[in-house]
Parts: sequence; structure tokens; C-alpha cells
Amino acid sequence: MSMHPITLKVNGKPHTLLVKSNELLVNVLRDKLFLTGTKYGCGIAECGACTIMKDKRSIMSCLVPAVVADGWEITTSEGLSKGDKLSPVQEAFVDLAAIQCGFCTPGMVVTATALLHENPNPDEDFIRDYLRGNFCRCTGYVAMSKAVLAAAAKMKEEAQ
Amino acid sequence: MNQMNESVIGKNIPRSDGHAKVTGTMVYPSDVIIPGMMYGAVLRSPHPHAEIVSVDTSEAERMGAVCLTYADINPIMYNERSVSIPAATYRDRTVLPSKARHFGEPLMAVAADTEELAHKAVKAIKIEYKVLEAVYDPDEAMKEGAPQLYENIYLGDNKLTVKNNIGVVRNIDEGDCAGGFARADRIFEHTFDLERIYHNQLETKCAVCKPEPDGSLTVWATAQSIHANRQLLARILNMPLSKLNVVRLPFGGAFGSSIQVNTVTPICACLALKAGRPVKLTSAREEDFYSHQKYPARFTVKMGVTNDGVITAAHVKALIDFGAHQVQPLPFMGCTAGWFASLYKYDGNIRFDGTAVYTNKTPCCAMQGYGNPQINFAIESMIDIICEEMRFSAVDFRLKNYRGIGDEFWGQGPTIRSIIKSCGVEQSLVEGRKMTDFENRQRPEDRTGDIRRGLGLARGFHTSGTAGPKEGEVIDYSSALIKINEDGSVDLVTPVTDHGGGTWDALKKITAETLQVPFDMVGLAPAATTNTGYDVCTHATRGVYCGGAAVYHVAMKVKERLLEYAGRLMAEHAYNLEVARRDELGQGVVQVKHFPSKFMTIGDIAKQAQIMSWGTIAYTDSYRQRNCPPCFTTHFVEVEIDTRTGVITVPKVLIFGDCGVALNPDLVKGQLIGSFNRGFGYTVFETMPLNEKTGELMNKGLLTDYKTPTSAEMPKIEDVEVILCDTYEPSGPYGAKGIGEAALASVQAAIANAVYNAVGIRFYKLPITPEVLLAALKKKEQEAAK
Repeated sequence: MSMHPITLKVNGKPHTLLVKSNELLVNVLRDKLFLTGTKYGCGIAECGACTIMKDKRSIMSCLVPAVVADGWEITTSEGLSKGDKLSPVQEAFVDLAAIQCGFCTPGMVVTATALLHENPNPDEDFIRDYLRGNFCRCTGYVAMSKAVLAAAAKMKEEAQ
Repeated sequence: MNQMNESVIGKNIPRSDGHAKVTGTMVYPSDVIIPGMMYGAVLRSPHPHAEIVSVDTSEAERMGAVCLTYADINPIMYNERSVSIPAATYRDRTVLPSKARHFGEPLMAVAADTEELAHKAVKAIKIEYKVLEAVYDPDEAMKEGAPQLYENIYLGDNKLTVKNNIGVVRNIDEGDCAGGFARADRIFEHTFDLERIYHNQLETKCAVCKPEPDGSLTVWATAQSIHANRQLLARILNMPLSKLNVVRLPFGGAFGSSIQVNTVTPICACLALKAGRPVKLTSAREEDFYSHQKYPARFTVKMGVTNDGVITAAHVKALIDFGAHQVQPLPFMGCTAGWFASLYKYDGNIRFDGTAVYTNKTPCCAMQGYGNPQINFAIESMIDIICEEMRFSAVDFRLKNYRGIGDEFWGQGPTIRSIIKSCGVEQSLVEGRKMTDFENRQRPEDRTGDIRRGLGLARGFHTSGTAGPKEGEVIDYSSALIKINEDGSVDLVTPVTDHGGGTWDALKKITAETLQVPFDMVGLAPAATTNTGYDVCTHATRGVYCGGAAVYHVAMKVKERLLEYAGRLMAEHAYNLEVARRDELGQGVVQVKHFPSKFMTIGDIAKQAQIMSWGTIAYTDSYRQRNCPPCFTTHFVEVEIDTRTGVITVPKVLIFGDCGVALNPDLVKGQLIGSFNRGFGYTVFETMPLNEKTGELMNKGLLTDYKTPTSAEMPKIEDVEVILCDTYEPSGPYGAKGIGEAALASVQAAIANAVYNAVGIRFYKLPITPEVLLAALKKKEQEAAK
């Protein structure tokens, strides 16, 4: 199978890579860039564990052939924090115990971050609807909704 | 001043692994990447029952793949689950089978340089099958002439002949059931049916195995017990235990599906040894569905009740269709009998007749409760039926009959029992009744309209661990190593795994509290089988209660040594000294009792001990709990039913949890809410129909066609209330017992009882999908018209 050179900016860092035409972005992130925060849960966009952010919108990286992502700038869960400082969403997930096994967490915080880009003042119904595509078997989601509301409040406070 | 430092016990401290989990830097088994590693893939049976006539792997090998077939493996028979003693363990399987017994069963495996090549190589293997007739229904399977899955299996070292696919029979009889029923004014008898459920842990089962230069093998695998993995792999691979190092890692959920050694793990180990290279074997989601499923159950429950509301006897007949291999239906039935026996007193008259049957389906294993949610649905539905028909208060009837303080609790079947010493049942039922105005709820016949609400109640429990005063069929002890470092920090080494409920933080808290050091000064050390003592498994809700007790025991020994060394250094008698936390110093101290200005930091003590060459202040030991206290839960659930669509929603839920002292209340509440979510799914959504021609799941292993409740289907934040009972377990570390599995036990019955209260229809089989509910409503309407 032919190899294609692509450039990819991940969490602000540029990469030049050779990828096969059938290689998926999720595998490139995990196996070539070692960014294993982007999890593999199903491979066919059923669970949301591999969610990343492009242009402030969340997308599932298992749906994207790596060649299609040529030239993209993307953010993964590893890129949401600045050094040791967690993003408001990440901080709220930790503080409000919205984490259990943690396997859905990276994808979930990326989706929640995209949510707040789209709507900085979400109500609970908006959050419940938005997170629907991210599957979590552990938590029952309630603490996650709480965390997103808390993050929204904190971001608003910081913006003022 | 030290008295000002608030205890970490019962305080909500953000979880230590939170930072790693939200940034995605936490390493799970499927994240382990080793230079030069190969990728494994498994050839799975396309037939539910077939003999393998011939195999040709030459094409796959020409492609560069390493192939593993039945001929390559050590054909010893084992059971993947090893928490029971060997004499109570059935053995019927090998790493790869010589015959396929269910659709999706791993038959062969390959390893190749890329995942793509591995999958191509699997396709290139040629197999000739002799397809056999399959049997899926347990009643059919027990008939003469039904297809037989096995001729022989082993129980311990004894070879057994399998007749009519009956794997295990377990009968338990206590008291005088016939006499009890004779004394009853009313006899009730109903049959309840529970479906198979898929665990649906988000991380599919995975193993990475690396042959080391010294001839040993390092294993990173999805595992609830690292030692169980090590011991089984050593037997299969015929290697000394010292050459097998299984590393403790977090895992992306398990819910019981990794109590046993996962089927992929020995396959991966064999591949790695054959290839002489590291191999990673990750199950695809479509494969994971065929790995293990939750035990289904059919229970026929008979209860006798007097007119003044006393249950005089109870008899449960259980039929368990456990699939193609035994992952221990023997203890499963024993435990199920125990949950049944321990819910109510029944005047001491109980009988349990259990039969577990082989069928050509995916093997069943534990799933959060080990029979408890199943039997709880039957018993708590039955209690509701009795209360409705005899017009008893659902709260008072339970209070009159439940087993509480001073009563015997079966923590793990009939051989593991202890006396209940803490109990939140009364608080839960009485407070819940008041908060929901339960006794004044409308009766079903008074509810009208297209949208109907109903209020239901059920109570349950689970054990904390599997240890009783007397040892029984189940192994239970844990180990720990703790050492004080020369800067006052503390290393905690534990073989205990954490499902994500917060077990590791609880163990850290127990260490911090016992040694009086700041929480952040306790480090959870990386651990593996070579540097830890044995721990049976994080199962049976035993992580905090049993694992924590071992940590407490060892921390007390470390404290003893610390005080002894401090005494020498401070010229004081050890018994005149105490440990105290000094947050302002960033560490703990040893101080003179009632004279805290004379103190030394524990870091200085450790450093001085080092300079004087006294040695490291450390201790390691194993410890066995001698009780199995129940942790209780009660659910008050409000449902809303749209009688036009059959859709059931939950506008409100009130959950009581009794875990003794909650070491980390937010994490306990999180487990209760998460369990409610799963229980809701089991009650109204989750079902696994089979294509009976092929033995394949109708959903083909896709999540999209295995509906679970999402964020949008949960009750809203303010409509979920969790109350933790004010109890203290005297045998637990700092008063704690478990919560994990109890959290689920009574969810299904509470929802089904609420559905009855809303529409007056009793459901004996789950799930109550919209189709099922609509059909029942229609039937009820037709009957009313007659």
C-alpha cells in the first residue's frame, strides 16, 4: 500500500509523517505520536473515546483517515492543559469526582471543551444532549454535567 | 496545633489519579507500547459448535505471521477464575480449544509486525470444520439426545462425566421449609427471568507480553488480580512464578469481567513466547462481546407469609445458562443462595435448588454483584407482590423481616458467614419513606392518563469481601508493604487493583491516617507480582475492607517501629510517644504525648535511622479479614411512563448507601449514581438476542445495537439524591466497609416495582423495553374489556 507524507499540528506541535492510505488518525496519534490519551474503544464512532478537537469542534478520530487530516491543526486531551495547569473543564472533572475508571475521560473532556466553545452558557439539558455521543459505563454522567456547569461558571468568571 | 489538622477520613479529596486521567497521560493496558512489539489477532469460531478437522497455517506463515494453534499449546485444563480453592473449582478449558463451543470462541491466533498484517494472516488460515448441532436453550440442553458440549470435565483433581450438559448442581437446605410453608397463611410462587448482559467496559480486554533477556515474561494485562494472572500463566507456560511478572495497571472498567484471567491473556503470552518478541493483543469491540457476559438466571421463588406479616419459609429454584465454559457457576450459585438467604429471616427456613447448564453461548462470569442483582430482582419483586396483595406497608413488612444487626450474613455462599455488626437498613427505609411520602403514594388503579408516574422501592446489599471467621471455599487475604522515606514521604506498595471507584486513594488515606502524614506525602508505588505479596482480587467489594485492612495492619507495624526508633533518638519510652500530622511542616511528626513541643519529624527519624545504620522503617505482611459485613443500599425510584410509546423514564431517584464510614464520600456517591445508570439500562434496555441459526449475536457485537442509558436519559442533577447512612463498621479500617457491588443490587427491582405502581402491571422478566411494555398494556386493556 502506498505511503503518503502528511503534516499535522497536534497540540501546537508540528509533525511530518508517512502514513498509509488506510491508516486512521486515532492510530497515528496513539502508535506514531504516542499520544495515548486518545483512546480506542470501538473504532467505528460508537463510543466517543477517541474524541479530539479541530477548529474548536469535537470529532472522533477513528472516523478520519490520516491522509484526510493532512494540514490539520488538532487538540487532544494532552493539549488542553498548559504545563501542570489543568483547563477549567479538566479541573472541574477532577474536583467534582466526574471520573471513575477514567477511560472515557479524555474524550469526554475534549467533547465538553468543544461544548463550551460552542455555547459558553449551557444549561443542563444542553449538556446532557451534547455528551450523549460519549459513552461512559462507570459514572452515570450526573457528575459530568455538574463539572461542565462548574467549568462554564469558572470560565465566565475568569473572562470578566 | 496538630489537632487542627482535619482528618483525611471522610473528607472529599480530589482523586490522586485525576490529573493523569483528565490529561490522558494515565497508561492503561491498551496504551502499553513496546519497541519492536508485534500485534496479535485471534481467529474466532464462525460456528456455535464445530469440530476442527484440519488446519493449514502455511499461507499465514508465508506472510510472516507467527501462528498459534491447539498443537502449540500446553493442553492443561483450567478455569480462568481462581478465587475459589482448587477443590471447589471446575476445569473445562485450554488456552485454545480442540473444538469450538460457541460463536466467537478464540480458536487460533497469530502475531505479525503490524495489526493489518495480523488480521490478513488470520484470514489466510484455512480450517476445515465439522459443524455440529448447537443448543442454546438450557431446558433443551438438559433433554436426552441434546447436543453435548463435553464428555468430561474436572472438579479439582477429579474427572467427572457430564450428563445432559448439566455443569453444576447446587442444593442448599436449612431449617424446615415444609414446616414453614405449613404455618403460612398465604403461599406465593412466581418465576423471574433475567437476561444476559454485556459488561461493556469501555476498554476492551487487552494484554501485552514481553519476553525478557533473563527468560522471564513481563505481562501488562486487563486484570482485577495480578496474582491470579501470574499463577495461571505460570501453570500454562510451565514457568516458575519468579519468571512471571504481571504489572498492576489501571484498566478501563471491568465490572467483574476480569476477575478471571481474560481469555486473550494466555493467548498473548503463548504468542510472545513462540515469537520471542513482545506481542500486544487487543480485542476489538465486536470480539469483546463474545469474551464474557453476565450470568442470566431464571428463578422460581416460593414464599410463605402469615397474616401478621412474617415470612415463614422461602424456596428458590434457579436455572443458570452459563454458556460454553465454566467461569465458576458453582460459587455463583452458592453466592446467589447466600444473597437470597441473607435478605430476610424466613424464620430460618430456606431452600435453594440450583442447576447450571452448558449451552453453545459465550461463557458467563461475574458482573457487579455475582448473582445479587439477579436474585434481588426476584426477591424484592416478590416482597412487593406480597405487600400489594396482602396490603402490607412495603416499608414495615421489610423492617419486620430483614436480617440486620446480630443476624447471620452469608458473604460468599454457605461456607462464608459472619454476624452483622453495622446496618443502615432501618435509617434508609424510615427516612426514605418520609422523604418520598411513600405510604401516601397513589395506588396503580387510581393512576390515569397517557403519562403515568409510579413510585417504587427496593432494598439490597452486597458483602464486603469474602472472609469469615472460618475459612471456606473462597480464598481471601491481602498484602501490603509500607516504608517511611528519609524526607517524611511514605511508599505504599499494594497488589490491590482499583476499578476506578477510588480504592487506591482509600488505601492511601488509611496509610496517611495511621501514620499521621499528609495525604500527598503517601505515594502509591508501581507494583507487580514480583514485589508484592498475594491479594486474591479486587472483587466481592473487598478493595477497601480487605485490601484496606491489610494496609492498616502493616501501617500499624510501621508505626510501632517508627515510635521505637523515635524513642531511642528522643530518649523517651515509645509508649510515651505518638504520631501527629503537622501540615505546616509538610509531614508527620513523632511527639511526646501531651507535650507536642518535643517532637521529631518522621523524615528526620528515618534519616537518623539511616545514618546510624539501624535500617529502613518498613514492614510487609499479609492480613486476612475475619468478617464479611454487608453494605446496604435502598432505592426509592420514581418512574414516568408514556403509555402511548411504552418509554420508561426516571424523573427522580433517592438512593441510600450504607458503606460504614465513607472514606471519600464523593467517590462513594459516584459509585451509587453510576450503578443506578447501569441498573436502569438492565431494567429497560439491555438485551442480547441471538441468531439461532448461527449462534451469532443479533447486534453483531456493535454498541449501537446494544442500547445503554446515555447522559440524556439519566435523571437531572437535582433529581438524584444520595444519602450515606450514619454507620460505623467495627471490623473495617476506620469504620469502613464496601459499596461497589451493593450500589447496583436493588436498582432493577425498585424500577420494576415503580412500574407496577404506575400501570399496575407486574413484570417478571427484564428488560421492560417499550415493545414489552406496550404489549403488556394492550393485553391488560383487552382483559379489562372482557
